[in-house]
Amino acid sequence: MKITDACVYPYPRGNSSVHRLALEARTLGYDSIVAVDTPSCETEGVTVLSGLMIADMPAKEVANRIKRGKDPKIVVSVLARDNGFNRAVCGMKGVHILRDIPCADKYAFDHVTAKIAADNGTAIDLDLSPIISRRGHAREKAIHSYLDILLLRNRFEFPFTISSGARSVLDMRPVREVSGLCSLIGMDVQDTEDALAGVGRILAPKETAVKVIS
Amino acid sequence: MSVRPPTLREKRRYLLAKIEPCGMPVEGKDLYYAIHEAATSLWGDVVVAAMQPAVIAIEDGYAILRCRRGTEREFAISLSTITGCRDTRIALRIIAASGTIDTLRDRIKDLGPYVMKNGKVTSAETGDSSKNQSMETGDSSGSASTDPRDCTFDTRVYQIVHCDGHKVDVIEKGFKNTHRLFLTTADLEEK
Repeated sequence: MKITDACVYPYPRGNSSVHRLALEARTLGYDSIVAVDTPSCETEGVTVLSGLMIADMPAKEVANRIKRGKDPKIVVSVLARDNGFNRAVCGMKGVHILRDIPCADKYAFDHVTAKIAADNGTAIDLDLSPIISRRGHAREKAIHSYLDILLLRNRFEFPFTISSGARSVLDMRPVREVSGLCSLIGMDVQDTEDALAGVGRILAPKETAVKVIS
Repeated sequence: MSVRPPTLREKRRYLLAKIEPCGMPVEGKDLYYAIHEAATSLWGDVVVAAMQPAVIAIEDGYAILRCRRGTEREFAISLSTITGCRDTRIALRIIAASGTIDTLRDRIKDLGPYVMKNGKVTSAETGDSSKNQSMETGDSSGSASTDPRDCTFDTRVYQIVHCDGHKVDVIEKGFKNTHRLFLTTADLEEK
């Protein structure tokens, strides 16, 4: 999983089936996608990872929800809210991705949250849909938010992912165009490659800090 | 303004883009307005003035677009922010960039036209003709209607509007819902 779209919404949330999204993803240069509320499978030569999207829940309920459906193959994403919630969620075991930060409060993601995310290996998602589909102030706000995240990323080096948030095959963008869109927020090719490989990295088993040789 | 000799003209670059979804009737003028709006909102008037975007032609489901040499990157990024043309949802997939229109026209010939004939894409890229055949005869499982282009998906009857290899685009039958669903042959076999 080197090139992954970290969030797509297949039918019935969107207007494209998971097979069609996988087929399109292959054409556009991806090798895996995270499909919300869809079982994991391998289709059209693309690995489809099951995604769980948690929204509008207090931190306690998020923890319970993760405990209930504990499956290491499911990619758990939580929609960002206020600062306290984000700190709690980033430090929670089982949460893989924190997303939708531009839609949250202005101070929802700060240096403390960034540090917690880096320590816990929680990825921060950069959703490209606001840059693609929004115009004017809404897009400016999203770009500003991402610039702020990248500033903190350079300091704390937490993992990050890129998603299209596609509800249709028309919302997906080729990897080359993703690289171009990411250059708008100051990401170079290396950063983009890291972000596209982010899902594979957070799902990989963590190496222990101390290795026992014999 | 009089026409300048070739050595004094500005250098241009031409981009070939595929219009998705297939079969969408897109006017050159509407596409130009969509491109201009996307580029202006992203880069601003100054950069767009230097970029000089233009729609040269729309042929066989492809668009030939023009910009000034050196601004291809900005132009390509602004094309990726296009989500619609008039009230229709579209996406432009950039295929190639060239210094001449002829090269892009040759490329279109190689790729084959990306237009529909009787609901089937006539593109040379479409390799799986057997699948197309079965879809056109309406043999997809669970066909509830006598119309050969009907199929069922998620207990609803849809009409197939586009078939390209494994890709199948359908629209729900009836006048209320005219939104496209993007499926594959596997989806129609499963349901």
